Amino acid sequence: MSKRVLQHPPEDSTGKKYWRSLGQVADTPEFRGWLEHEFPRGASEFEGGEVSRRNFLQLMGASMALAGLSFAGCRRPEKHLVPFTRGTEWSIPGKALFFTSSMPSRGGALPLVITTHDGRPTKIEGNPLHAASKGATDTYAQASILDLYDPDRSRTFRNQNGASDSAGFEKGLDEVINGAGDGTGLVFLLEQNSAPTRDRLRAAIEAKFPKAIWAQYEPLGGTDAGIYANGLQAVPLLDKADVIMSLDCDFLGSESTVEQTRQFTSRRKPEAEGGMNRLYAVENRFTLTGGMAEHRLRVPASLIGAFTLALATEIAARTKDPVLSTLVKDLPTGTATFDPAWVKESAVDLIEHKGRSLVLAGSRQPGAVHAMVAAINSALGNFGKTLVGRAGAKPAATISAVKKAIDDGIAKTLVIIGGNPVYNAPSDLDWGNLQKDFRDNKKGVVIRVSQHEDETAQLSTWHAPLAHYLESWGDGYATDGSYLSGQPMILPLFGAWSELDVLAKFAGLSKPAGPELIQETFRQIAKPADFTVAWATFLHDGFLANTAAKPEQLAVAASATAYAQENFTTPAFNSETFEIVFVPDSKLDDGRYANNGWLQELPDPITKLSWDNAALISPASARKWSVGTGDIIEIRSQGRSIRVPLFVAPGHADASLSISLGYGRDFPGRVGGKDETGKSAGFNVYPLVTTSQPYFLVGAEVQKTNDKYAFAVTQEHNTLEGRGAEFVREGTLEDYKKKPDFAKTMGMDAHAKWKMENGKKVEVVNESLYSHPPLTNIHQWGMTVDLSTCTGCSACMIACQSENNIPIVGKAQVQNGREMHWIRTDRYFASFDDETNDPEMVYEPMLCQHCENAPCETVCPVNATVHSDDGLNVMAYNRCIGTRYCANNCPFKVRRFNFFDYNQRKIEDKGLYAWNLTAPKGTEETIKMQKNPNVTVRMRGVMEKCTFCVQRIQEAKIAAKVSARDTDQIRVPADAFTVACAQACPNDAITFGDISNPESSVSKVRAGERGYRLLEYLNVSTRVWYLARIRNPNMKMPGAEKIGAYSRGSGHGGGHEHGGAEHGGHQVTAEHTEA
Amino acid sequence: MANIFPRGSNILPLKIILCLAVIGTATTAGFAYYFTNKYTNVGYQPTQPVPFPHDIHVKQVGMDCRYCHSAVEVAAHSNIPTTQVCMNCHGQVQKDSPKLQAVRDSWQTGKPIEWVQIHKTPDYAYFNHSAHVNRGVSCVSCHGQINEMPVVYHAKPLSMDWCLECHRHPEDALRPLSEITNLDWKPTPKSGQSVADAQQEIGLALKTKGNINPPDSNCAGCHR
Repeated sequence: MSKRVLQHPPEDSTGKKYWRSLGQVADTPEFRGWLEHEFPRGASEFEGGEVSRRNFLQLMGASMALAGLSFAGCRRPEKHLVPFTRGTEWSIPGKALFFTSSMPSRGGALPLVITTHDGRPTKIEGNPLHAASKGATDTYAQASILDLYDPDRSRTFRNQNGASDSAGFEKGLDEVINGAGDGTGLVFLLEQNSAPTRDRLRAAIEAKFPKAIWAQYEPLGGTDAGIYANGLQAVPLLDKADVIMSLDCDFLGSESTVEQTRQFTSRRKPEAEGGMNRLYAVENRFTLTGGMAEHRLRVPASLIGAFTLALATEIAARTKDPVLSTLVKDLPTGTATFDPAWVKESAVDLIEHKGRSLVLAGSRQPGAVHAMVAAINSALGNFGKTLVGRAGAKPAATISAVKKAIDDGIAKTLVIIGGNPVYNAPSDLDWGNLQKDFRDNKKGVVIRVSQHEDETAQLSTWHAPLAHYLESWGDGYATDGSYLSGQPMILPLFGAWSELDVLAKFAGLSKPAGPELIQETFRQIAKPADFTVAWATFLHDGFLANTAAKPEQLAVAASATAYAQENFTTPAFNSETFEIVFVPDSKLDDGRYANNGWLQELPDPITKLSWDNAALISPASARKWSVGTGDIIEIRSQGRSIRVPLFVAPGHADASLSISLGYGRDFPGRVGGKDETGKSAGFNVYPLVTTSQPYFLVGAEVQKTNDKYAFAVTQEHNTLEGRGAEFVREGTLEDYKKKPDFAKTMGMDAHAKWKMENGKKVEVVNESLYSHPPLTNIHQWGMTVDLSTCTGCSACMIACQSENNIPIVGKAQVQNGREMHWIRTDRYFASFDDETNDPEMVYEPMLCQHCENAPCETVCPVNATVHSDDGLNVMAYNRCIGTRYCANNCPFKVRRFNFFDYNQRKIEDKGLYAWNLTAPKGTEETIKMQKNPNVTVRMRGVMEKCTFCVQRIQEAKIAAKVSARDTDQIRVPADAFTVACAQACPNDAITFGDISNPESSVSKVRAGERGYRLLEYLNVSTRVWYLARIRNPNMKMPGAEKIGAYSRGSGHGGGHEHGGAEHGGHQVTAEHTEA
Repeated sequence: MANIFPRGSNILPLKIILCLAVIGTATTAGFAYYFTNKYTNVGYQPTQPVPFPHDIHVKQVGMDCRYCHSAVEVAAHSNIPTTQVCMNCHGQVQKDSPKLQAVRDSWQTGKPIEWVQIHKTPDYAYFNHSAHVNRGVSCVSCHGQINEMPVVYHAKPLSMDWCLECHRHPEDALRPLSEITNLDWKPTPKSGQSVADAQQEIGLALKTKGNINPPDSNCAGCHR
C-alpha cells in the first residue's frame, strides 16, 4: 500500500496572494526544494566539507576506540570555587545587577539599562523610565554588546615604529600637544555626536588652540542647508500627525530613532487614541517605511526632487500659500511625469488634514528638496503642531575642509577618533592616499584612536584602541533632548582610551580616572543643591529629569527660497540606464558593525539577504536587461569601477539600482573582514560615492558580466506551504469598523469552527487524539503579536539572540538553511495576479507558537520536547538525541537544529567541518563573557527553539515564591517581567504574560477583537495570538481598492460564515474547493 | 554430503560465549558504575586548602549557616564566604594558627582561596537555593549533617532521580521556616506517632498552607 499523502488545501487561486520570493511566484524547483523538506536537500547531509559520510563513520569508530582508552575522561574533574577576597558592594554571586547607561549615536543617545552578571555586561535593554526608550531598543543597541566582546578589537597601542603602550601613547600625545602652539595645523576629525561633555572639551580645546580645526564626518549624515530660521532643526512629532507623507525618508528604518518609531506606531492601531494615521511613501526601494505605507509610489531617488516639486506645485495651487508659491515658481520640472491622480489626491488629503499632516524628506536628499518640504509643511500649517524646532548642534568643519587643510600644507597633526575615513570618505577625496602622503611625505602626525586596527589605523602614526561605550564614562542628549548619563559597565578590556580621554589631554587636563569630567558637566547643567544626591539620582535613573528640549517655533528661513531657487535641479534621468543609489545598510549602517556576527547574519528585513549586500533591481528592469539574482555587474563612474551582484527586489523602482554601504571591508576582522581567500563579506560601494553625489549617482555606466555570485538569502527558508494568506490576515479600517473580529473568520477558519452533528451546526472544541499533561498551573503563559504595528525592524531577533545564547553559523551554513534564529520576521509580499513589480509588504514575526496540542511533542521518541503545566512547549536539551522528527512535524518551522558545535568551533567552514579530534576546540574568552549564564549553551546534535524565555519565567516564579515564604501568595504579579523580544520591540507589537491573570496586558490585548490564531482548523491550539493588520487607505487614491484587500477580493473571510458543514468540518482535504 | 556448516563454525560457540562475556562484563560494570553512589560522588571528600571544620563553627561556636553563606536566601547560588568574612573573626581569634595561614595569605595578597567544589549540579540543571530555603527545605535535605562534619563530604546523590523523589513528595522534607538552618531539627511526634508520621503531618500542612507544588514533570523547572 502506498503511503497516503495528505495535502494541505491549496491557496485560493483567486484574490490576493502572499508570497515570500519571486521563486515562489514562479514556483521554481529551488523553491519547491525548500518547501518540501524541513531542511533542504544537502542541508541534512554531510556535504561540502572535508569529511564524507563514509569517512565520518570510520572516524566515528576510531574515536569510540580512543574514548575507551582514555580513562581519565571518566573522572570528575576537580573544580574550584573562588570567592572574592573582599566583599564587593551590591555583588551577590550569580545574581544580575542592572545599571543605566546610554548608547551614543549620530541621531541622539539612546537611554539603556544594562544587565551585568558578576561584573560582565551581558544584555542591553532600553530604559523604561525614559520617554525616548520606554524600555525599547533597536537592532544596533541590542547588538552593541557583542561589539564590546569582539575578539578582533584592537588590543595594542602602536606607533609607526612598533608596539607601544598606554604610557608611550600618552607621552606621544604630550609631545604633540606641547608643540601645537596656537593650534595651527591641529585638526580633529570625529564622528557626529552631541554629547555635552564632548562639547565642553571642544570649547576648552578651541580656547586653548584657537586655530585648530574641528571637523566631523558621517558618511550617512544628512544635508544641512540652514533651511529654518535661527539655525533651528526640525523635529517631527509623528504621534500628532494624522496623515504623513514620506519622500524617501525611511523614518522607521535607517533614519529611525526608537522614539520616532514608537510615536508613529502608537497611531497605527485602529483602537489608537486620535484614530489611525495614514502613511504615503514615495521611494525608489522598499524600506520599512514603505512597507508600512498605505500608498506607495515607486520613484527613482534622483526624481524625488521632481516629485516633491509636483506635490509642492499642487499644494501651492490649492492653498495659495505665498511662500510656497514663490518657491516653486519657475523651477525646472524636468521630463519625468508622475501619476497626476496620485499627486492630486495625496495633496488633497494632506491639505484636508492641515495642522495634522506631516511631510518628511529623506535626510540624504539635497538641500533644495528639504527647503521645498519645509515650505510645504509651512503651507500645511504643520509648524508648531506636527513639526517643532530645536536648537541645532554647533556646526563643525567638513571632511573636505580637512582635505583642503592638508593640501594647503596647513595641517600638521590629524587626530582621527572613531569613524573610518580611509574606508568611507567620498572617493573624490582619495583619502587613503591623502592620509598616506600626509604621514609619509609631509611629515604629518596622524593619531588614530579606533576600536579596530582598521583601514584608517593602518595609515597612521599612532594607533590607540578606543574604548567601547560600555567601558567608558560619557553622557549625551537623548532624541527628546534630555540629558543622559553614560556609565561604564566594565573596565576597558584592553586598556583602551575613550574619546573623552584623548580630548581631555588636548584640553590641558589629565586623563580622567573616573567620572570627573561628566560630573563637572553635570554640575553645570543640573546646578544641583546637593551634588551627592543629585549625582546618585542621575546615575540611578540614567537621565536628568525634566530636561527634554522645549519645542521652539519653526519658521522657514528667508534664505531658503533663494537657496531652493538656486540649487534645485532635476537630474537628467534616463530610463534606458540606471541611477545608482547608495543606501544605508539595515545591519551594518555605514560599515561600523561589519565585524558584528549577529548583525552580519541577521537577514536584511526587506531582502532577507544575510552576510552580503547587493545591487537591488526591479523585476521589470531585470527582465528588460535579461539579468537575474546573482549576476555580477560592473558599474563605472569617473574612472572608478566596482563589481557587485544583482538581486531582484520586488517593489523596487525601475531604472534604479540600490546598493547598501558598509560591506567589502579591507581590515582583517574575522567576521566581516577579509578571510584567507581575500574575500570579505559583501561588496564595497564607497568608491562610487563622491562629495557632489553622496546619495545617488546618475550617469554611471552599468555593464553585465558573465560572472555569478551565490547569496545566502533566507526568504525561501522555512516557507509554510503557501499558507501566507492563511497566516497573515489584514483588512482595511473600514472592514474593521464594520466587523471588528473579521480576522477570526478568514481563510480556513471560516470553516474550522463548526461541524454538523445530527443535522445541527455545533462549534468544534478542543478535540485531540493525544493526551497532554493538564494545564493546571496557576500561571499560563501566552503572547500576542500585533501585525498592525510591527514594522519588521528585527530588533526582536537580535534581542532574542543576545538573551538566549544563540550562535551564528556563517554564510555557508545560512545557504544550507541552518540559521539558528528562534524568532524570525517573515516578510511577505502581497499582490493580485502574480504582480511582482509593485506589491505590498507585510511582516509577521514567527516564533514557537507553544501549541497546546503540539505536533512536535507527539513525535519525539525520547520525550525531549514535552508540555509543561504552565503551557510551555519545553525542550530538555540533555535528553535530545537529534532525530529532528519534531522539526519535521512543526507546521510553523520554528525549530532549529545544531548541525555543528557552533559554540565550540569557529564559523569558518574548515573549523565547523574539521573532525573533533583534530580541530581546535573552544571559543574566544571574550565571547564567553557575553553569554547569559541562565541559559544553557547548546551543543552539536541538539534541537532548540523559542522557550518563551523560560529563564525569565522561572526567575519571576522563584522571586514570587521567595517573597511568599510559607504563604500561598505565589502568583507572579501581572506584567512583572516580559520576554526579550517583547522588551526590545519599539512598537509594542509583542505582548507577553500570564493569560490566566485578567489583570495582565496580554490578557487584555488577547481579548481584543482583532486577535486570531494560526492553523486553528488543525486544532494545534497555539499560545500566540496575532492581531490582524489594519490599513487605512484613502479610497480616492489610484489602486486603493487593492490595499489590505484580501477580505474583499476573495471568497473567503470578511464575515464569510457560510459554514464548513458541507466541507465536513475542519478536516484537511485534498479536494477542498470554494463554492 | 558436503558439510552444511563451514569449518569455521566450530569455534562459533566460543565466539558467542566470548561476546556474551564481554557484554555481560560491560553491563555489570556499567551498572556498578552509573547506578551506584560512586557515580553520584557520594562520599567525595576532597582536602580543602583550609581545613575548615563545620562542626566546630556550628556546634561549638553556634554560628548560623547564613553568617557565611549569606546569599542563600536571595540567590540561586549559595555563596562561599569571602576571605573578609573569615577575617571578621580570625583577625582576633586564633590569629596565629598555622591552619589559617592560607586565609591570612589571601587577606594580605588579595588572592582568593580556591576551595574545592564538592556539590555540583550539571551545567544544564539550574538549581536555585533561594527557592528551596525560603519555602521550607532545609540545608540538611541536600547536604546532610554538615553541622557534624569536620571535613565536608558529598552526602546525598544529587541525581535527577533523587531530586524528583522530593519534588514528587515535598512533604517528606518540608519544615517550618524557623528551622531551616537548624540541621538537628526533627519533628516532635505526638504520643504514639513515629517521627516519619510526624514529618508527614507537618509536611502536608506546610504544603497546603504554602501551596507548594514543586515542578515534578515540568522539565523547564530545572532545565533551561
